[in-house]
Amino acid sequence: MEQRMKEMKPITGNDWQHMRTATKLARYALDHDETPVACIFVHTPTNQILAYGLNDTNKSLTGVAHAEFMGIAQIQRATGAHDREIYKDITLYVTVEPCIMCASALKQLGLRRVVFGCGNERFGGNGSILSIHSDESTAAANKYSSVPGLLRKEAILLLRYFYVRENERSPNPRVKAERKLDLETFPPMEWSRYVDRDEFMHCFGAENVRHFDDKTDLRDQVEWGLIDEPHDKVLELIQRQCDAFRLHTAKKFKS
Amino acid sequence: MVKKKQNPLKIDFEKCVIEDKLLQIRKETDSTEPYLVKVWAIEINARSSKALIEFLRDDVQEKDPVSFLHLKRIKKSHRSGYLTVLVCSFELINEEVDFDELMANVKFDYLKLDEPIWVPIQGPGTKKLFMEWSAKYWPLIWRGNPNDQELNSYTFDMDKIKSVLQNITEKSRSLAANNHSKIPVVSAFVNPVDGEEIYMSDGREDGSELSHSCMRAIRQVAEQEQERRENALKTSGETETYLCLNFDVYTTHEPCSMCAMALIHSRIKRCIFIESMGKSGSLRPDSGDGYCIHDNRRLNSKYEVFQWIGDEFELPEIEPRVCC
Repeated sequence: MEQRMKEMKPITGNDWQHMRTATKLARYALDHDETPVACIFVHTPTNQILAYGLNDTNKSLTGVAHAEFMGIAQIQRATGAHDREIYKDITLYVTVEPCIMCASALKQLGLRRVVFGCGNERFGGNGSILSIHSDESTAAANKYSSVPGLLRKEAILLLRYFYVRENERSPNPRVKAERKLDLETFPPMEWSRYVDRDEFMHCFGAENVRHFDDKTDLRDQVEWGLIDEPHDKVLELIQRQCDAFRLHTAKKFKS
Repeated sequence: MVKKKQNPLKIDFEKCVIEDKLLQIRKETDSTEPYLVKVWAIEINARSSKALIEFLRDDVQEKDPVSFLHLKRIKKSHRSGYLTVLVCSFELINEEVDFDELMANVKFDYLKLDEPIWVPIQGPGTKKLFMEWSAKYWPLIWRGNPNDQELNSYTFDMDKIKSVLQNITEKSRSLAANNHSKIPVVSAFVNPVDGEEIYMSDGREDGSELSHSCMRAIRQVAEQEQERRENALKTSGETETYLCLNFDVYTTHEPCSMCAMALIHSRIKRCIFIESMGKSGSLRPDSGDGYCIHDNRRLNSKYEVFQWIGDEFELPEIEPRVCC
């Protein structure tokens, strides 16, 4: 537990900013016919984005082309597949909790920190179904810290946009509830599945602990601009940052 | 399904072993408490039962993801002449407005129950529990131990199984002996459509930490399908492969959490492995953290798992913490 607390850094403005970028990228995915789940990998010491990922399960013919794997492939191309040193300096920002498979992959690589938006009720590996990030059977030496809840409502809304649209396209819409778009109500945030009360205070400050107790979101307002406008430029912007990172630092890792 | 006695395979239902060689791996489920799910229920006049049965058969039964085969649909109400009826699960219909919509055009009068009814999602393993649960929750139908039924319904081509296991064993031994591989894990993916076998070894020593044999094989299946689709014009009439739907997967060592979950995402039918991985495995209840990822009710999707317990296939040892 103490070890986990040490790795678990308080959430800063930078973290919020990176989650905003990931959320815009998820909106970009929605506009390009993919599941609106996206992530960015940030090199923590330099605060630079070094890779990103979108879900590619529709176009690729595998069930394993999750956003995280696309980002990992980019990192491996940049630094060489063998290099594992770099992962301990990387934070992953992802709109939806990594699934069990991805949580396990991140841990086996030795990534130290994950920040995510909403929980993954069906497949989540950072607390929702299993807690791979802190388990003993998956590369136990690489336990990593995992902080939920940043821009959770936005992540949930993007998924709702997606399901409503998919259902409209379906020749045989399942039930009416899935056709209606709910913009108002959100399930309670079960913080305790992901962090304990002390960890919550450590990450978000003691003044916010009522959110933990009340199972409410950190922020009441939805940042509509992130999810209701297309962000066609965001990919280019991220790409440019990744290229810059590679140019300036990748050589060092390759040697 | 054949009757248990007529099954040509030798099945030990108590120990869950097929032909003395294949041990069924599942979460210990001899629990005396059922896993309950919510069901929408109505009350009708007994005279309406014909119209009700037609409605259930035509509009509900096929669509419901929860099976009602172990449940009685109808029981007598406290009011004489009336029946209480299970209509469908909350998995199928979650919202009251949708339930009302489903019921809008039925050709009989009914009264919606104020509260949903909680029923066991699966029948119990023993007749004694069947009596208890029927009294406590809702009348059940005794069809024998559900796992017996399941085992009895599976098919096994023992010759094919042995031959594929022999192949992966030989490849694994050769990797250990000739390449000095420390992770000589080998998997085979068998396509149910044409029986094609794809073999893949672990790729970590020359590449990514994540190049486990199962992950590589999943990608290989996708690549081949991609190629096939590009050439599809030439050879029409072939069946498409969707993910690894209904594949049989054979692997030398028990998969780790990443691979076990990747097999869920890939929708395989069955995984057969030879060697347990006591620390890193995620299928056996006594391996690692006891995940039994293939048999977790909360994951919506499952696959069958068997371990070969004969001593025919001797494999090189792998350090027990290594994820396979």
